[in-house]
Amino acid sequence: MKLELGYVRVSDVCFGDSSSFRDGVLTLDTEALRSMLLENEKIADVRFEIAKPGERTRITPVKDVIQPRVKVEGPGGIFPGVIGKVDTVGSGKTYALEGMGVVTVGKIVGFQEGIIDMSGPGADYTPFSKLINLVLVITPAEGLPQHEYEQAVRLAGLKTAAWIGELAREAVPSRTVVYETPGIPEGLRRYPELPRVGYVLMLQSQGLLHDTYVYGVDAKKILPTLLSPTELMDGAVISGNCVSACDKNTTYHHLNNGVIEDLYAKHGTELNFVGVIITNETVYLADKQRSSDYTAKLCEFLGLDGAIISQEGFGNPDTDLIMNCRKLEAKGIKTVIITDEYAGRDGRSQSLADSDPAADACVTGGNANMPITLPPMDRVIGTLDYVTRIAGGSENSLQPDGSIVAELQVITGATNETGFNRLSAR
Amino acid sequence: MDGSAAAVLLAVRDLCHRGHRLLTHPLAGSVKPNETPYKSILLSDAASGTDADSVQLIEKAIAVSDQFGPIRRNWRERELLDFQTVDASLLAAALESAGWNGNNTF
Repeated sequence: MKLELGYVRVSDVCFGDSSSFRDGVLTLDTEALRSMLLENEKIADVRFEIAKPGERTRITPVKDVIQPRVKVEGPGGIFPGVIGKVDTVGSGKTYALEGMGVVTVGKIVGFQEGIIDMSGPGADYTPFSKLINLVLVITPAEGLPQHEYEQAVRLAGLKTAAWIGELAREAVPSRTVVYETPGIPEGLRRYPELPRVGYVLMLQSQGLLHDTYVYGVDAKKILPTLLSPTELMDGAVISGNCVSACDKNTTYHHLNNGVIEDLYAKHGTELNFVGVIITNETVYLADKQRSSDYTAKLCEFLGLDGAIISQEGFGNPDTDLIMNCRKLEAKGIKTVIITDEYAGRDGRSQSLADSDPAADACVTGGNANMPITLPPMDRVIGTLDYVTRIAGGSENSLQPDGSIVAELQVITGATNETGFNRLSAR
Repeated sequence: MDGSAAAVLLAVRDLCHRGHRLLTHPLAGSVKPNETPYKSILLSDAASGTDADSVQLIEKAIAVSDQFGPIRRNWRERELLDFQTVDASLLAAALESAGWNGNNTF
């Protein structure tokens, strides 16, 4: 499967009387956008705000971040099975609006949404501080149950991203990258000497408010399956969860998965990137066993020599991570796992809830318990009402001067387990 | 049972030693042990020999819970309801997987 991904640079975002995308400037008629979103009766109101890198702005409680994209050639549309028809995507040509994000904000469950600071020390920990963000602050209809609120916010974000993407349909990309994965026999013929490597992408899927969707299907109901990496670039996998901010994969992460990009960069020279195996993280132990057995079997069928396994979340999913790792290694498939740590504020405690000697190659996204002080900001988009309530915060999180003392886990994307971040350590 | 989420884990460990099998992961959900006051765990009704996997899993969960320590916040009513919603939704997902019809046992 072959996809041409054109990156269209967004240099500015502003509001105006009509919507357009010209010379890198995105102008949005928020009244038009608002009426489209209010067609959903579950939404009482939407407020739009723009946050730019370097501003003294804090966005919270953040639910999801989405990159606007548009499918310009080939079958299907962006976010298939949810916004676009359910056609198989991942081939043809797609444009990604680089440099901006659509951020959804809403208090769904008070303790599970995150913070994005556009400047200061917190900004270093979230890749989304480097984007021009269109923020949607969404008020639900009165009495709306949380899972319906989550769904309404999820759909509003995706609709907005697709709507903005359409404005760039005629744009000229500043750069284009061609991603191609050959079929299994073709890959074997082309690269007989190269190690066959797959990517096991674990998806958060424990229950309501903990779900991820694949072509519109709830991931906890899937058996592990194979995707072309390019299908993710067209939005075949979207985030629908309200779990810890630091280590959940937002839809932006799924669209711009760094593991996939890096594997492609080495594809055909150092390794043969065979494909992406998606699997779930369930609550029911028999489901865990079935999914990890199935994942190992798929990897074996694909003749993999090695696999990278990325986790989403902490605790329960540590068990899925270790089961996947152990079962692949038992079949002679070398693994590298990517996770993050809850090693206590001093970093001295056990990092994961599960472990195994087979997991001897591990990459960490950082310690989510690390304390951090976020200075006060001039502008808050959303509300600070929940910062003392958020996972990683405490009763004393909000200081009288407006600064926040909390653990790193409050920051959206801070310890992301696909490694999508800018900070590193040796 | 009336008590902390940590106390639920200890009670479940006793049941595992008495031969009940764990059916759901004791750390289900992304809510940290020192955050939520609620914890639902599904165990087999039938008890036979002690299941080593269940005992190991609950021991690891207790170790994680001890590491996080007790809840340090006073939750408001609305937040308690949020925690209940999350706990109930995780349990509902497990019951659906288990094929529970309201009467059958496991």
